[in-house]
Amino acid sequence: MKTSVQPPKWAIDFLEWFCPDRLVECVLGDLLEQFDDELELYGERKARRRFVWNVVRFFRPGIILRNKFKLKIINTIMLLSYFKIAIRNIRKQKLYSFINAFGLSIGIAFCILIYLFIQDEQSFDQFHVNKDRIFRVEEKSYDRWSEDKAYPYRHSAYLQTGLMQVLKDDLPEVQMGTRYNSGGRGVFRHGEKVFTEKLTYVDADFFKMFSFPLLQGDAEKVFKDKYEAVITPTIAEKYFGDEDPIGKTVEIDVNGTVTYTVTGVIQEAPANSSFSFDVLIPQENRMFYDRNINRWGSYSTPTFVQLVEGADMQQFSANLDKVIEKYIAEDLEEWRENSNLPDDVKLLELQYSNLSDIHLNTKVSWQKTSDPQYSLILGGIAILILIIACINYISLALTTSTARRTEVGIRKAAGAKKGQLIYQFGFESIVLALISMIIGLGLVVVFLPSFNEFTNKSITLGGANISGLLAVSFVVTLLIGLLAGSYPAFFLSSFRPVQVLKGGFTSKLNAVFTKPLVVLQFALSAFLIISSVIMYRQMQYITAKDLGYNKDQVLAIPTQTGYSKEGNKMVERFRNYAAAEPSVISVTGTNTSFNQGWSRSGYEIDGEQKQAYVYVADPYYVPTLELTLVEGRNFDPNLASDSSALIVNEALVRDMGWENPLQEHLNWREDSTGLGPKIIGVVKDYHFLSLENEIEPMLMSMNTKDAGFQTTMLVKIDHGNIPESIDKVRSLWNELAPDKPFDYTFIDEDVAKQYASYKRWMNIMGLSTAFAILISCLGLFGLAGINAVNRTKEIGIRKVLGAELMSIFVLLNKQYVWLALIAFTLAAPLSWYVMDQWLADFKFSIAMGWELFAVSMVAGLLVALTTVSYHAIKTALANPAETLKYE
Amino acid sequence: MEKTYLGEFEELVLTMVGILREEAYGNAIVNEIRDRMEREVNLSAVHVTLYRLEDKGYVKSSMGGATATRGGRRKRIFTITNAGLSMLHAIQEKRMELWKLLPQLKFADL
Repeated sequence: MKTSVQPPKWAIDFLEWFCPDRLVECVLGDLLEQFDDELELYGERKARRRFVWNVVRFFRPGIILRNKFKLKIINTIMLLSYFKIAIRNIRKQKLYSFINAFGLSIGIAFCILIYLFIQDEQSFDQFHVNKDRIFRVEEKSYDRWSEDKAYPYRHSAYLQTGLMQVLKDDLPEVQMGTRYNSGGRGVFRHGEKVFTEKLTYVDADFFKMFSFPLLQGDAEKVFKDKYEAVITPTIAEKYFGDEDPIGKTVEIDVNGTVTYTVTGVIQEAPANSSFSFDVLIPQENRMFYDRNINRWGSYSTPTFVQLVEGADMQQFSANLDKVIEKYIAEDLEEWRENSNLPDDVKLLELQYSNLSDIHLNTKVSWQKTSDPQYSLILGGIAILILIIACINYISLALTTSTARRTEVGIRKAAGAKKGQLIYQFGFESIVLALISMIIGLGLVVVFLPSFNEFTNKSITLGGANISGLLAVSFVVTLLIGLLAGSYPAFFLSSFRPVQVLKGGFTSKLNAVFTKPLVVLQFALSAFLIISSVIMYRQMQYITAKDLGYNKDQVLAIPTQTGYSKEGNKMVERFRNYAAAEPSVISVTGTNTSFNQGWSRSGYEIDGEQKQAYVYVADPYYVPTLELTLVEGRNFDPNLASDSSALIVNEALVRDMGWENPLQEHLNWREDSTGLGPKIIGVVKDYHFLSLENEIEPMLMSMNTKDAGFQTTMLVKIDHGNIPESIDKVRSLWNELAPDKPFDYTFIDEDVAKQYASYKRWMNIMGLSTAFAILISCLGLFGLAGINAVNRTKEIGIRKVLGAELMSIFVLLNKQYVWLALIAFTLAAPLSWYVMDQWLADFKFSIAMGWELFAVSMVAGLLVALTTVSYHAIKTALANPAETLKYE
Repeated sequence: MEKTYLGEFEELVLTMVGILREEAYGNAIVNEIRDRMEREVNLSAVHVTLYRLEDKGYVKSSMGGATATRGGRRKRIFTITNAGLSMLHAIQEKRMELWKLLPQLKFADL
């Protein structure tokens, strides 16, 4: 039976596309025959569906490869020829090949570096064998001082000291657990050697849970005793040299000297670890451990647990809730009642994150977290540079295509099909991309150390990442080759042989597509230029801004006395000792120096929640930092009553709404019996925090009971001979405290460190901008050259007719100025938007005025003009007799 | 001599080519397998197998005449070669030899 019903046309087209020509007739015949049979059997809909399905079933290696096999033979023969032509062309057009290879290789190098960066980010903590079962327990707690009223919660990894043991005892899911406190420092002493070392407090399970190999000692046995220490090989070497460290005793002074026995040597944590340690000692040795272990209101200890295999996570969560219920609920309710917190909010929740997720988790702060955004930004920059480089390739290939036109004509006349020509040109671009890849890999090796410095990483090209790296560079290269090569390939292969070979064609080529490409390229460069200029200005602003105090020549020296009144005594003694020393100008003591931490206290005044930063001070604090008192007076060492008085800053006065601050008292300790300390002075606002923050309310007190002890000494030295002054201070210290190490930092350096990451990003941006400009200028240089050559005769005639040098110059450059202006118009809003986001991180930032954009535009324009002028001048100066004599 | 082995499906298709003689083309083999073996096979599998057999030299093919039923497209008719035939013979013999070696067990003894 003949029917008019036909199978889907597209399915037939698809079959004809992939099926080898030799087979397509009989295959399609069989399929159609089957279709007719099934039409009778199942009806139209199903038959058509089955037809499509059967066609798809033919899309299998047994059929497709028969295709490829035949094509391959032809290709391998032709490939050699293509390769030869490609190499010849690259060599013939040395300048353009150089421009292309230069841009592409930098683009590829950037991509590879970004790949290494991302890979490093992803590899964090992946080396732990038990990583799937290790979790960090976290709190989500109600934060009544939160600035975000819609989500008044705080996420933190710091939990109660006693929680870990409770989890281990009460929860069947928990197999092992360890607490982890890093960042402590102590004076480490063995024999004559005395240095300050970083201390990390952990529990015995730490060595079994995490895969940090113990080089000496037994993971099952260490930390059975409270006075054991495990050290890294570096520390072992530093104190014991070649001797076996096991069994040696060391003295560690945190808040009094304690003797420890070294029972293990642990391998240093790799760079891609969320943990880092030098000296590990048991948690029980932490300050106030015995007090904190039963305090369920004190959150100070990060806690990690390893669950049993196949643990039920829902049950685990439920059990964590039960722990809160059992141990903390009472305290929480008391808190709720005392502080009049709303009834409906959950005050505390225990949550957890897997070890693998800690590094990229920005919600919970940790020592080495990283924002996944960085990978995105870096990737974006790499792609920008790659696009700019690809555009160079495309526009240069199009504009130089005149030279290839005859070749295309002859090839076509000799029987080349369009497809073959596309292959040929595509192949050429891939060859160029491959050459660029090799250069790019070389660049990666050269630039990796600086890249590490910029991004604060320590990536090495090791055996593990080399295969991935090669695979990525290869894929990127092929992609570039195809992307950059496809448009020129289609464009060049479509020349009509008759027209080309007849010779009537003018030598000028109007590749319309190149102009938008150049505009795009320039817009991308302009975006980078504007962004770098703004970033640079902001960093300049930050470093030059008057912070309200004098940070120069002030040393911050930890008193090395632990948290006790010994600190105050130490500062006092040092001040008396240094009084006779002319290079020491003044000495003061405080609790935290700049960028070394802060302490903040919340209090309730008239039913309102307030907060202030608390600084321990003495009568010398204000003069040492050259703070300005706007009202009242400084602390007076001779007035006993001043020990309970306060000096506050203007922000606090504003916050309290005081008209006459010197008449006021601030009851910040919520003392129920008195009015609280009296205000004796107001200092002018100064930036005690980084410029990312507003100047917040702040108070200074000399009262050790309320505000704490002096743990840091600030020493202002003479600006004359700084190294000599430091030596003086050191020798004074050594006379006064011969058994304590002398550590110091300059506070201006500490302050600068706050902006280290911004500075790093500015450097990265600056470097990418430099490369982007370089690449696009090279491309422009090439384009201008071609354009000038195209117009040589025109210029010759103009000159013969009396054109001025200047007018020819303007004529040749006019279009580039226009292109650059359009590009800037496009780039300006984009960079304004992006930079607005960046500047939002700073509470004190520059205004993005029009002059910044103008400066960037003029700079960009100048660079572009300089680039194109070489050709313009050369052409304009050429003797018309030379250029026209062949006509 | 280099030994070439035939898979089970290859052997089935080769046998069908022998049975169908002048009418041995893709679709006919599919139908024949369905009729005789009560087994549903996909056309593409048969085609791929036929081409593989052709590569191995057990069948050869030629284009048949034009037909009205299949949109005017010709069939590719496969015929078994001598090599193919002797391969089938060899398989059959080997199988009989092995069969004879098998002790004549009753099902119940197993």
